[in-house]
Formats: sequence, structure tokens, C-alpha cells
Amino acid sequence: MSLQEESETPEIESGETELEALLDDLIVDRDDHMNAPAFVIRPDTVQETLGRLKEEAGYDHLSLVTAEEYPDRFESIYHLKKFDDPTDEVSIVVPTDSENPVSESAEPVFRTADWHEREAYDLVGIEYDDHPDLRRILLPETWQGHPMGLDYDQDRPQMVPLRENANPLQEDQRAESDSDTMFVNIGPHHPATHGVLHLETTLDGEQVVDVEPDIGYLHRNEEQMAQNGTYRHQIMPYPDRWDYISAGLLNEWAYARAAEDLADIEVPEYAQIIRTMGAELCRIAAHMLAVGTFALDIYGDFTAIFMYAIRDREEVQNILEDLTGQRLMFNYFRLGGVVWDLPEPREEFFESIREFVDGLPDRLEEYHDLITGNEILQMRTVGTGILPEEVAKNYGATGPVARGSGIDYDIRRDDPYGYYDELDWEVPVEDGCDNFSRLLVRLREVEESAKIIEQCVDLLEDWPEDERNIQANVPRTLRPEDDKEIYRTVEGAKGELGVYIRSDGTEKPGRFKIRSPCFSNLQTLPEMSNGEYIPDMIAALGSLDIVLGEVDR
Amino acid sequence: MILQTESPLPDLLADLLGLSGSGVAGEFVAALLAAFIVGNVMLAMTGVAGPWAKRKITAKFTDRIAADRIGPAGIGTIPADALRLLSKELIVPEGADRPAWDIAPLIVAGSAMLGFAVIPMGSGIQLADPEVGLAYVFAVASIASLGMVMAGYASNNKYSMLGALRAVAQNLAYEIPLVVTGVSVVLFTGSLRMSEIVAAQQETLISVGGLAIPSWFAIVNPFAFVLFLAANVAEVGRNPFDIPEAPTEIVAGFQTEYSSVYFVLLYLGEFLHIFLGGAITAVLFLGGAAGPGPESIGFLWFVVKIWAFFLLTQWLRSAAPRLRIDQLIEIGWKGMLELSFLNLVLTAVIVGMVA
Repeated sequence: MSLQEESETPEIESGETELEALLDDLIVDRDDHMNAPAFVIRPDTVQETLGRLKEEAGYDHLSLVTAEEYPDRFESIYHLKKFDDPTDEVSIVVPTDSENPVSESAEPVFRTADWHEREAYDLVGIEYDDHPDLRRILLPETWQGHPMGLDYDQDRPQMVPLRENANPLQEDQRAESDSDTMFVNIGPHHPATHGVLHLETTLDGEQVVDVEPDIGYLHRNEEQMAQNGTYRHQIMPYPDRWDYISAGLLNEWAYARAAEDLADIEVPEYAQIIRTMGAELCRIAAHMLAVGTFALDIYGDFTAIFMYAIRDREEVQNILEDLTGQRLMFNYFRLGGVVWDLPEPREEFFESIREFVDGLPDRLEEYHDLITGNEILQMRTVGTGILPEEVAKNYGATGPVARGSGIDYDIRRDDPYGYYDELDWEVPVEDGCDNFSRLLVRLREVEESAKIIEQCVDLLEDWPEDERNIQANVPRTLRPEDDKEIYRTVEGAKGELGVYIRSDGTEKPGRFKIRSPCFSNLQTLPEMSNGEYIPDMIAALGSLDIVLGEVDR
Repeated sequence: MILQTESPLPDLLADLLGLSGSGVAGEFVAALLAAFIVGNVMLAMTGVAGPWAKRKITAKFTDRIAADRIGPAGIGTIPADALRLLSKELIVPEGADRPAWDIAPLIVAGSAMLGFAVIPMGSGIQLADPEVGLAYVFAVASIASLGMVMAGYASNNKYSMLGALRAVAQNLAYEIPLVVTGVSVVLFTGSLRMSEIVAAQQETLISVGGLAIPSWFAIVNPFAFVLFLAANVAEVGRNPFDIPEAPTEIVAGFQTEYSSVYFVLLYLGEFLHIFLGGAITAVLFLGGAAGPGPESIGFLWFVVKIWAFFLLTQWLRSAAPRLRIDQLIEIGWKGMLELSFLNLVLTAVIVGMVA
């Protein structure tokens, strides 16, 4: 929280004085981040501050809540953005004293703060006043201590018998007025949960009265792992494991972008094009799986679409294997570029990509025949799993989920990085707000990604041989200055994937925080499925396209 | 009514084995033998269909190869799978309501077997030919719902319970259109006796260039045929109507808690029901065992017809999405029921005018 020097002004200056004027009576200090101005406020004015920023200044996107314990205080940081312009950012820093770490909850202003604050409570130990449901979220409810707190004892035994855990069936789940409901555990092992997700569902016959996702089965504190690795090499392998559905390069880019901006590393243009191409290949692979598994949810097992999607995804995987040497955990990006150049012979590699991209329209036609053109599928998906635009924004939904609800928001275009702003492509948006729209958005994004890849291949083919610079000169050991803070996002396969890093002058990050799009997107599930039928809830879950590796981190 | 039963296959066997002289005992032995043959033929067919044909068919639809390790085209996987399934541990869920839980698989599999008793399969294979054949076959086929409810209720599992409730709701919604559409055929034949229904379809409808088109009811009344097929797919619980099982929604529905031999029985029962559905369709609409060639190979044509229905269910499974339960009920009660009655009235008018 140490006050930054005046010379280190943030990138965005416009409107800063207005913000100061708006929050005049609330600001107690400044603590600017590299990506945004940051205002320090008192813990009891969180709602007031965020409310004013949302209503009067238009910061309608609470992207992330970062929490950290310092020797003398706890700190929550609310990273705010605008859906209209994600480069217009502001951070609100809320220090609380270390004896009694209680801070006002932002939940009444931004619904998305619900889960983010629960995570902060779970891992760091900050308590949020006025929070509707302050329980642990990632760790078991019986866990002792807060793992990212400073006084956490790693060696303390955590063996807690099952009987200590709350049993939702123990008390009578039925409300007095409504004796017809039934509690069902859907998951953690269930055909439609796409991993180990547990949905605590209350049913009234076939209808969902209430559903509450219980997450954390795959939690292994990736943030702490990153904090124990050096910037240069030891962190990069981990992002592959967040969204492990072949979206590896997209995740790596999230870390690369934040760390490169933090250490002021310029990536050569040639490497940027390779990155862009690789990332879009990953996006196609990820969306293929999303469409395939969504079909499983709607059609049942043994559907042709799933196998077709896997078949096409396999081709992308082959290309990615040629490029990176790996099929799943690529570890291909390096700070300042990529690890190696395109495979030789280059012509053959380009040929394989072109072959895939050229064949894609026909395949997509087949998907549209099989899926989107099917009347029964339309009966099932059109008008179900409704997520209105305002609700989606309130929950911080991003990616295809947001774009299916009519929110024209894509980091690639709105906060450009890599080579995207040089290329010609579009952001598909559907305003149906239902399961069908989200499916359509994904299929159309595959088309757009193919366009991007084609242009990248054209550029790479003509690139002069002596200018193929794949990596910038990066020091062997990176030691960013002490107490620099940065939050950077990229457009992952599932939405806005961000990384917040606070440097502490060493070669390892002082705080590493991941903004997982699935985590925020999954929060919208009750909103979409309460009052609907079980099959619609399953469809809504499938249309969210969550990956538990990223939700639980 | 039952007294008016004819029993072609047992009579044939009795004659062949010289049992006809031994009175009631001889008839009994002949009937048992005949039932044994028919039962085994159907079980063998499901045995081929379940572990092998189903996989190969689905694989063809989804660009895969499927079983190919043992024997030519992987056909040897059938005994291997049978051994595997039978040697698995039978897990009985805590709090299961026995013996209902144990009886349910038998009912599901048995009810379908009972249905085959009156099906004229050609080549003289028909166990019994009662006056009320059609009513009987619909009646026993729907006993399966009872088995499903027992399985779902007795399993002490919420998914099973949901599956059982869905099964009942679905069968109620589709049994009526199914039977009413079946009755429209009876208007043509004037008899519920299966052999007479088949016989009524043997006449030539029209001759096109020397090619005689038989008066199969699928050709005479295609509308009823389509209606019957749709209701039949719902009746046997296959996509787009596999709602009582709906693996991605309620795990496996009424059969969630069944393993080992009981699972095999349920699985067998399902396939038997598909074949029974195919058999009823063949008898009512596709001329029974009729086909080119001598009458003695009629059984082959019959098998071809019921496998065609099986193929249809597998095709739907690969390509058709599942409906939601409320949509299914709506289609059943608000669409199919009206259409089936409309069909019945139209058929009655046409039959009345022609006759």
C-alpha cells in the first residue's frame, strides 16, 4: 500500500481527476497499479465506493477480487473495468487491520463478488461483513486455517472425518410450506458435470428449485504454486493446467502478458504472430470439445456429433503437436516470445494448417446440419437457460457466455494484445441470451479463429528468413522492482482470463492471482436454471462450458 | 376367448415328435419345446444385438471401428462380454426394497418374452394364435412399465425414482396413441388375431409394371405407420425418447443401482422390447413374414424386418437429441393422441366407404 511516486503514473489518465472528484470523500490514499489507478478506501465504505463507480462512472465489470495478507494488514483489491472499454480500469484497495480482518462485502453491488469474496475468506482469511453466505468455497468446510495467510501451518494435520462435514440430508431440507421438494446431489461423479463438480440441487418433481454448485474438488492452489516459482521459467508450465481442455496456449498467454508488461519485455513481432496462430488453434480445439460435450448433454451418449467434434479436434491437436511438441501441456510460450520456431519443413507445416482451415467450412456446415438445424435441439435450447444481459454483467460473465447474452465484449479486440489488432476478424455476438445463442457463438467463433489462423499463416509464409526472431533478449533472472502491481487479462477459450502479479523485488512473485473465467461463469448457473427442468439445467451447465481445472485452480 | 387359440408351432412339433397321441401331456411338452425354441431365438438375437451389433452400428454412424479384437469383425466379443457381465459382483444398495428389487429385472425381461408368444414369425413359427392376439401383445408389453417402476422405487435411489416416474409418465402418454393406431389396422382386418392381420396384408394392392405391390398397411396407410413408429420408439424408450434413462440427466434412471446379472437382465429386457416393438410393427404394417421367395424362408424376412426397426432405433440414437420430459408429455397428449384418433376416424370412414 506504500504510496507510489508521482512519476509512476498509470497508463490511463483520462478521467482520473473525475474519479477523484467522484470518490473525494471516500479516498484515503492512492496506491496505483501499473494497469490502473488505485484508490485506497476504508473497509466500511466498500459498497458506497463500488456503487458510485458502477452507477455514476460506468465501471460495470468487477473482474477480480484479490486478497492478500501483509505483516501489518489484510488487503482486498477490487479490479473494476467497463464492459464497453476494458482498458478503462480502476482498482479499489481495501486494507483491513490484521487483528480483526473485517471488510464490507461488495456483493450487494456486484453479485460476482459473492464467490470471489468467499475465496478470499477461504484462502486468505478476510471476513466480509454483509456477505450473504460467507463459507469456504474451495477447501472443505472443516479445513483448519487459511492456506495463503502468513501464519498458516503447513504441517498441521487436516484429517477430518466425514461425519464432521455438514450433511445436507440430516436436517429436513423441506420447507414447512412446501413439503414436496427433494434434495439431490448431482455429482461429483455424474455424467454431465464435465469433471468433478458437485451440484447441491433441490428439486420439486422435475423442476429445479435451487441449485448450488459446490466446487474445489480439483483445487490445488495454483496461485501458491506460481508464487513459489521463478518468473523466467518455473511458472509457465502451470497455466496449461488451468483450462486443460487444450486451451493451454491461451492460458500461457495470460501469464506471459502480465509478466511481460510487469518486466517491460517487448515481444518480437514474428513471435507475436506465432502466438496468435497457436492461441487460435487452441481456441478451435477448446470450442470443438465444448460443442461436442454440449451435444452429449442434449443428445445422450453415443451421439455422432461428439465423435465428429473429437475427430476435428484431433487434427488441431496434431498441428499443435507439430508446433509445440506436446498435445496437451504445451509449455510453448516463454517470456519474450516462444520457445522455438515453426517446425521444419515449414511448407509442410503450413500445408497441414491450410488443409485444416480450408476443410473447416464444410465441417461446420455438417455441424449446423446436425446440431443447430435440428428442430428437437432447437426445442431444447432456444429459450432455455436464459441469462439476461444485465444479470450476466452483474455476475462478471465473459467469453462466449457473455457474447451469447448480447454483450459485445472480447479482450482480443477491446484491449488488443499479440497481433490481433492487425488482423481482419469479427466478434460474434448473439442476443438470444439462451443455450442456443451460446452454442451459436462458439460455432461462429471457430469460423473467426480460422480466419485469424489463415492470415497468420500468410504472414508467416512471407516472413523474411533473417528476421525470424522468436524471443526477445530476456535476462536469465527476472527481478521486477519491488511492490509493482499489475493485472492483465487475455481472451481465453472460456472468457476473460487474467493474472494479477505483485512483485516483491525477488525473482518470484509476491502475490499471484488468477482470474478464472469459468469461476465467474459458473456462478450464473442458479440464475439460469432455478425454476427450470433438470434437463435444462444440465443443458445450461453444458452451455457454460466450464473446466473444473480452471474453476478450482 | 383363450379357448379359441390355435397353436401352430406346438402342433407342428407334436406332429413331428409323435406326441400328438399322448393327450394333454403331449401338448404340454410340445408347447414347452416350442416356447424354448422361440425364447432362445429371441435371446440369441438380443445377444448378438446388445454386446456386438449395437456397437458396430453406432460405430459406423460415428466414424469409429468398435469391437474388433476377438474373432472376425469382433464377433467373439459376445461370449467374452457375457462372461464379463455375469462374473461381475452384484451390488445390492443399502435399503433396497427386496424382493421387489430382485423381481423387477425379471419382469422387464419377461414381459417382452411373453409378447413373442403370439407373434407369427413366418415359416410356421408361432407359439399361439389367440383371437385376442393384438390386445394380448400390447398388454404384456406394457407390463414392462411395472418392472421399471418396481426397479426405480425399490432401488432407494433418487435418480432411480425419477427415472421410474418418467417411465410411467412416458408410457402413459404413448401407450394410448400406440394402441389406438394399432386399432386402425384392426378396422381393416376386422380381427385381432395376428395371423389374420398378416393374412389381410398379402393381397396385391396394385401392380406396377408386373411388380406386385402388396397391401401392407404401411403402404395402405403410411400416416398410421409413421404415427405408430414414433409411438413405438417412445414405447421402447429410445432416442429421442430415452427419457427414463437419460444418462446425462439422471445417470441411468430406473436402472442406476443395478449391476451384474440384474443389469444384464434389464439390458436384455430393453433389447427384447426393441425387437418386440419391431415385431409388432412388422406384423401390423409390414406384412409380417411376407417377402419374395418361398413361404418357408418367411422367418428370414421377419428377422430382416425387426432388425430394420432395431437399426432405426440405433440411427435415432446417434442423430436425434433427447426431448425434455414435459415436451414429450405434451407431444404425447396434445399431438399424438389427437392424431391417432383422427387417424382412427379417417380409417373408419374409408373402410366404411370401401366396404
